[in-house]
Amino acid sequence: MNTLVPAIGFGIVTASILAVAGVGFTLQFGVTNILNLAYGDIMTAAAFVAYLVTGAGFSVWLALAAGAAFGSVFSILLNRFLYTPFVRRGTRLFGMIIVTIAVSLILQNSLLAVFGASFFSLQMPRPASVHIAGMVFTTAQLAIIGIAIVAMLLIHLLLRYTKLGKAMRATATDPELARNCGIATDRVIDLAWAISGALCGLAGVILVMNVTSFTDTTGAQFLIPIIAVAVLGGIGQPYGAMLGALVIGIASELAAAVISPDYKNVVAFVILVIVLLARPQGILSEIATRKEVAA
Amino acid sequence: MSVAWQFYISTVLVYLGVDVMACWGLNLQFGVAGLVNFAFIIFQAAGAYTAAVLTLGPATKGGFQQYLGGAHWPFPLPILAAGVVGGLLAVLVGSFAIRRLRRDYEAMVMLVVSLIATSIATNQVGLVNGPNGLALVPKPLATMVNLTPIGYQWLFVGITAVICLCVYWLVHIVTSSPLGRTLRAIRDNEQAAAALGKNVTGLRMLAFVLGGVIAGVSGAILVEFISAWSPGSWLYPETFVYFTAVIVGGSGNNLGVMVGALLVPVAFLEATRFVPQFGPPGFIDALQWIIVGVLALVFLWFWPRGVIPERRRRFPPTAQSEARQPLPSTRTGR
Repeated sequence: MNTLVPAIGFGIVTASILAVAGVGFTLQFGVTNILNLAYGDIMTAAAFVAYLVTGAGFSVWLALAAGAAFGSVFSILLNRFLYTPFVRRGTRLFGMIIVTIAVSLILQNSLLAVFGASFFSLQMPRPASVHIAGMVFTTAQLAIIGIAIVAMLLIHLLLRYTKLGKAMRATATDPELARNCGIATDRVIDLAWAISGALCGLAGVILVMNVTSFTDTTGAQFLIPIIAVAVLGGIGQPYGAMLGALVIGIASELAAAVISPDYKNVVAFVILVIVLLARPQGILSEIATRKEVAA
Repeated sequence: MSVAWQFYISTVLVYLGVDVMACWGLNLQFGVAGLVNFAFIIFQAAGAYTAAVLTLGPATKGGFQQYLGGAHWPFPLPILAAGVVGGLLAVLVGSFAIRRLRRDYEAMVMLVVSLIATSIATNQVGLVNGPNGLALVPKPLATMVNLTPIGYQWLFVGITAVICLCVYWLVHIVTSSPLGRTLRAIRDNEQAAAALGKNVTGLRMLAFVLGGVIAGVSGAILVEFISAWSPGSWLYPETFVYFTAVIVGGSGNNLGVMVGALLVPVAFLEATRFVPQFGPPGFIDALQWIIVGVLALVFLWFWPRGVIPERRRRFPPTAQSEARQPLPSTRTGR
């Protein structure tokens, strides 16, 4: 029991990071219909932006904002100047997946070329530790949990109570019908890239806030649990992704405590396989099933 | 020709053979059957490890490398076993990845499989010696034939060429048969193929397994030649090099894919060997990957069908189809 309670604490932290990253990933895919495998590398790039900001002596909060802003702007530009032109040119699904993975490689290796093969860490004030119900958190980890909760609440409010959220959900369900109903789907898609990009950047920064050091492949490695979260929740389902993040975050940290830290990602993978076998449309999805039939 | 050049050229030829085989295998999956197999490299790796372990002999306790199930099998057997293991791994991966899922799910799952396989092989040191990998794999037939190192090199080129021909024969049979036609139909319009009563999942699985077998064999030849294999040689971006080769050459066309293998993994990556090193360590490597990525993007933009595009297949009209032809006026513009 002694190792399990702190492991749940770590699990909550991991789940928070996964929730931010997973919701961004799934929203991007659901609304824009582009499977962006460069997502993890944009997270890494945002982490490097935060690294530069904190290195210049600014606070972590500013670094978070800078990372989110970078992710947002980069995602919009990527979509505007690369993905959309390819789609317009008639590149099909297979082609688009390869385009995104090409971007992933280019981005990852550009970071490697610029920053070098080394370990980096954010300059942060020495964190104090806080005990809550047998779990130990650093102040940075508490901040991560807080950021995730606020981000999830904002996404919830956006999707449920704003016109934009409604338009996004409509576009995700059926883009043609949405367009015919007078929704400016192009603008909605741009905004979806902006929002999911911001979540991506934010996730990149909080990911490296939680580790002692990061490299150019940190984000790409994190793509495994992100994909597991997205599939578990049902692709394109932000609420599913939130639930998925909680399951995978806690399960993988428990596995790390009980078996070995090397098995964190393996557990995420095993859950992914089980979901694919038992319920390929994800745990929370009605839209996805209908989409599958129509696809 | 000086000995050094002979050595270099024979080495490049073996690499070319391995890459051509691998590209044919990937083309069967991606170009013909439309499977976006981002885990392709793990099938090559599985074949390589199998062949290495089966030639190395049992691991000695406390030896410098630890692995499972070593044996001293004579020459062609480890390569055949590698093919079998590649195929079995494909059955295993396919059993959960190739189902009636949306294709994007499939691609994602494959990528994850590739990343996970690397992490397992690296962390499970007892399996295939972890991050250090296997080394000192004995060269096949080296003790039996009495050849100079150069002579042996050319012998190996011959072996590779023979196996290459066998693989070509296999992929040619598949792609030019009704089976190949069905696979292309599934790639182009799955619903229509299913509506015509084709077993879509089963046939895609078949292509996946065949590709896995070929990948395994290619890995076996590579490891028997270079005598070493470690997780560093099969990270997921390596799959991307093969994808780029298939796209550059002309996906769906065996001949085109061969040209692609000659252009991308061999000519292009060998050429950078002669570029003087500059920048910090790892800089050239990073640059190489960036250029491979850009190459893929450029080809997808300008020549998505590759250097030698897939042949547009035409079938002579039969009496039946003649009767069903639409009016001539609607056929213009094709």
